[in-house]
Amino acid sequence: MASEQGPPGVRIRGLTVVYRTPAGELPAVSGVDLDLAPGTITGVVGESGSGKSTLALSLLNAVQPPGRIAAGSVEIDGLGDVVALGGEGLRRARGRHVGYVFQAAQNSLNPLKTVGKQVLDLGRSHGVEDMRGLLADARGLLGRMGLDGARVLDSYQHELSGGMRQRVGIMLALVLNARLVVLDEPTTALDMITQATILRIVREVHAERGLTTLVITHDLGVVAEVADRLAVMYGGRVVEHGPTRDVLAGPRHPYTRGLLGAIPRLVGDIGEARALPGRPPTLADVPADGCVFRDRCPLRMDVCETGSPPVVTRGSRSAACHAVRDDEGDRRAVAATTGEDQA
Amino acid sequence: MTVLLRRLAGHVARGLVMILVVTTISFLIIRSVPGDPLAARYQKLVEQGMAPDAAQRAVEALYGFTPKGGLWEQYLGYMGGLAHLDLGQSLSVPGAGVSTVLFSAAKWTVIPVLAGTLLSFLAGVVMGVYAAIKRTGVLGDLLAISGSLLHGVPQYVLALLLGAIFTTLIPILPAGGTADIVIDPGFTADYIGSLVEHATLPVVTYALAGYGGWILAMKSSVVTVLGDDFILAAELRGMKRSIIFRYVARNAILPLFTILALSLGLLFGGAIFIERIFNYPGLGLMLIDSVNNRDYSLMGGAFLLITTAVVVANIAADLLYTVIDPRVRSGEGTA
Repeated sequence: MASEQGPPGVRIRGLTVVYRTPAGELPAVSGVDLDLAPGTITGVVGESGSGKSTLALSLLNAVQPPGRIAAGSVEIDGLGDVVALGGEGLRRARGRHVGYVFQAAQNSLNPLKTVGKQVLDLGRSHGVEDMRGLLADARGLLGRMGLDGARVLDSYQHELSGGMRQRVGIMLALVLNARLVVLDEPTTALDMITQATILRIVREVHAERGLTTLVITHDLGVVAEVADRLAVMYGGRVVEHGPTRDVLAGPRHPYTRGLLGAIPRLVGDIGEARALPGRPPTLADVPADGCVFRDRCPLRMDVCETGSPPVVTRGSRSAACHAVRDDEGDRRAVAATTGEDQA
Repeated sequence: MTVLLRRLAGHVARGLVMILVVTTISFLIIRSVPGDPLAARYQKLVEQGMAPDAAQRAVEALYGFTPKGGLWEQYLGYMGGLAHLDLGQSLSVPGAGVSTVLFSAAKWTVIPVLAGTLLSFLAGVVMGVYAAIKRTGVLGDLLAISGSLLHGVPQYVLALLLGAIFTTLIPILPAGGTADIVIDPGFTADYIGSLVEHATLPVVTYALAGYGGWILAMKSSVVTVLGDDFILAAELRGMKRSIIFRYVARNAILPLFTILALSLGLLFGGAIFIERIFNYPGLGLMLIDSVNNRDYSLMGGAFLLITTAVVVANIAADLLYTVIDPRVRSGEGTA
């Protein structure tokens, strides 16, 4: 068991996930490279259809048909490449090594069984011998998250509120001592107070149990709240990645900048928030060549039509944009004008 | 438990009202059908040369009563009898009470139809799960098509086909009746064997006729549940396939229990065509005979039995739901 070691690191390399459609196999995630450093919380933000949930499922090699992982690897410490795993090995890794927390609005519990019975099913599936201990762990985790553990274990899903269900989801992801946790839209469909509570719990549990955490969200506020590192996805690609604070303070990719500019401020004129023009590409109209963001980009150049933007890495930050020069990142990008030629 | 009892009490009260209403309506409908069995019998006796007075007395002796009062009085008399569970005398089977006639017919319907329904339910549910899991393959398609076909063929066509095949083409089964008349009824291997042999064709017909509906219903239910989030969640938590299968099966079968309970209620209606074709003296045949003979009290009794069975089945279905679906249970608790 990995629990005595440190939190696992994750290295995603060249990950490409395609979905079979009547128009052929279309990529939802194309050639993504992403590292999750051990013990960090990484937030992945993006609009609907940006491929972030598909990316999250790939960590468990659980992309649902008609989708499939077409290329790449997901290397997890203590587990190896999960893309190469299958059958019983993959099943055992799920839940035991990697915990997955569903969106709160989704019903991730069997409506006909109490939470406690489902914990026991989980234990049985993973060959846990000490069922009493497992239930005690579950109670403890729920108690840690501010719930009456014994009562929740005796409850059915419909007897729990959204916030309670989400905490049950987190408990189920952690009760087998998984050290890598993936949270898919953990606060969507929760009210503001509950959102704040869940995010605090995610942060605290992450620190206490020594986890490596991936949070998928469309809400930059969530990332700002919990994540050490931020990856921005667009059209199936990671367009910008870096320490959350730095990326939010000085976004390099025009898409990140657009996202930040679209958030209304608490003070000041509501008109200062500018919606990003256009709409995100769908599976069918993601351009095969060139930059996926060019149709909505204020910095569009000729080269964007033909060449995929290279990932420019500087220090701990990277961005994939022709307008971002490797020498002097953000300022140049802001000032970049159309017609500028790129190598 | 008190929730269950309160629920039961409410259902029973509503059920009684329902039975009362249906009984009243069927009473009125039956009485408004033209024809009078006593008058017909009286007429017959007179035609045979009996004196009117003697004929009148003979009819009275035969049936033990002559209805004289108006509709209202008859109604009150009938309901009064019902209150004492007295369904009255059969008019077509002189000297026998309605409940006796009903009871002797019921056993030939209830047991075979029950066997057929349960058989088709089991087979349909199992094959439905299979058809849902294999829905993208040839086998799944074949199962679904077989379901649609069997569902579409009327019961009596099935009965005629099976009868033609197994009693004429390959004569391995008896064509009709409940048992060989040469064998003495009793608790003997011979008699029971003969009973089973005679019941085979009706039971298989019931089973095949029901199977199509079950497989289609189960398949769509399983497909729905397979798409539910909690199944994916269970998979991502690394649950064993056998446990996930049980999650799917239990959630998918839930809506089917209602249909099962309701169809068990209709079981007392008898299968008129099938009993006719296999000459099986069940409730369906009895109902036809009672209509032909203008046997008011027997008709009334049969309708009452069917109504009661449906109402009881409804109550059973609802209580069953309370037991197997926790959402229904607590929904009532908070109401």
